[in-house]
Amino acid sequence: MKIKRYLSIFFMIVFCFLMQTTVLSHFKLTNIIPNLLVIMTSASGFMFGRRYGMFAGVICGGLMDLIYGDVVGVCIFIFVLIGFLNGLANKYYFKDDLSIPLSAMGLSDLAFGMLYYICNFLLCGRLDLLAYVKDIMIPEMIYTILFGVILYKFLYWLDDKLYPPEEIPLHKNDRLY
Amino acid sequence: MRKKTKITIDPKYILAGLFVFCIILGIISFRFENKMTPVRSAVSSVIAPMQKGINAIGVKISERMDYATTLKKTVRKNKKLQSQIDKLSAENKLLQQDKYELENFRKLYDLDQQYAGYPKVAARVISSDPDNWYNTFIIDKGSKNGLKKNMNVMANGGLVGIITEVNKSYSKVRSIIDDNSNISGTVLGSSENCIVSGNLKLINNGVIEVSGINGDAKIEDGAEVVTSQISDKYLPGILIGYLKDLKKDSSNITQTGYLSPVVDFSSLDMVLVITQVKDSAELGEMLK
Repeated sequence: MKIKRYLSIFFMIVFCFLMQTTVLSHFKLTNIIPNLLVIMTSASGFMFGRRYGMFAGVICGGLMDLIYGDVVGVCIFIFVLIGFLNGLANKYYFKDDLSIPLSAMGLSDLAFGMLYYICNFLLCGRLDLLAYVKDIMIPEMIYTILFGVILYKFLYWLDDKLYPPEEIPLHKNDRLY
Repeated sequence: MRKKTKITIDPKYILAGLFVFCIILGIISFRFENKMTPVRSAVSSVIAPMQKGINAIGVKISERMDYATTLKKTVRKNKKLQSQIDKLSAENKLLQQDKYELENFRKLYDLDQQYAGYPKVAARVISSDPDNWYNTFIIDKGSKNGLKKNMNVMANGGLVGIITEVNKSYSKVRSIIDDNSNISGTVLGSSENCIVSGNLKLINNGVIEVSGINGDAKIEDGAEVVTSQISDKYLPGILIGYLKDLKKDSSNITQTGYLSPVVDFSSLDMVLVITQVKDSAELGEMLK
């Protein structure tokens, strides 16, 4: 249990949620706002593993469901699933590589869009999937990836501060020449 | 096999457990809506004040940014506008005459009276929906200020939406462009009834959907649509928008078309809440 890491994820998510509902809606591009919550879930799953991903998922989904949702539980599950799947990719996590985490974020956002569409729109009889993909999912994905770069770098820096990488201790008898 | 001193649960089982937990939560919130309300209001009473504060900063930033970008445009526009003023002042005289005519029409429809007759409360929009799929927002007045569920919300003289949830000092509004919104309306002039429904796909083109207009009715583009007398939640006579591109359905019985709302939903800041609820229960009693 790395409690500081859980706490940092929690506060980052609350901050992102606040930004997403207030400030970011003033910076809409073609009526789309980036999905910071997906970035947080994806990044914590990818960087720290399945447990952290699912923890982030519960917080994100919970906030969204409790404040804006009608049926509590849908978003929580979608986010938890995203966190879990990203956690599976944790073994491909290398420090300085950005391409894999960013594509993971993009895919996560797409998956979020699809699941959300299935849970809330397909079941209401809105069958025109392609229009939703074109108008909402793709622009949201691109915008999300842009923000993902910044957030991912910040999260990485924060975790480096909280848990500095261990140095391999020298043996008593070793000498530095 | 790794050996650990602490008992750890495999994340797979946590996932399965959370899945079951979500289903139970979903059922609870769906069947017993009241049970979840204290939890919801507890969470939003923590989050909402923070949103209110941060939103103030957001408004300031966007105002600054707008200021820089619009300054250039304004100078250019100013020249153009100067020349227009002369033209308009001539037109204005003509319009003054039309105004008398308009007042007569207003009296005819009794609209003027009705708008003025509704008690209203002004509220500020403090936050909007976190995802791109729904169009709901939160305003900074709640049950403390006398708001109740199902009250109608207006802005710029047109219908914005309806209050779907009320907390102590914050309420949630579902706008008419939301995919879940269906309003029964009346086309002014022909008094045909119709259904105005929000549509996520169409709102990018600035329109929403209108359906269920009688197939024989002849209605011109630009006809005004107001909320209908027979609506069970919306007060009658509030302007929703203007009709566009009406077409006959394949069945020939009804017509479907588009409606451009009066309200500009992309820059909603202040709204008016009508503090009068259209209660269908009252109507039921009257009919008894």
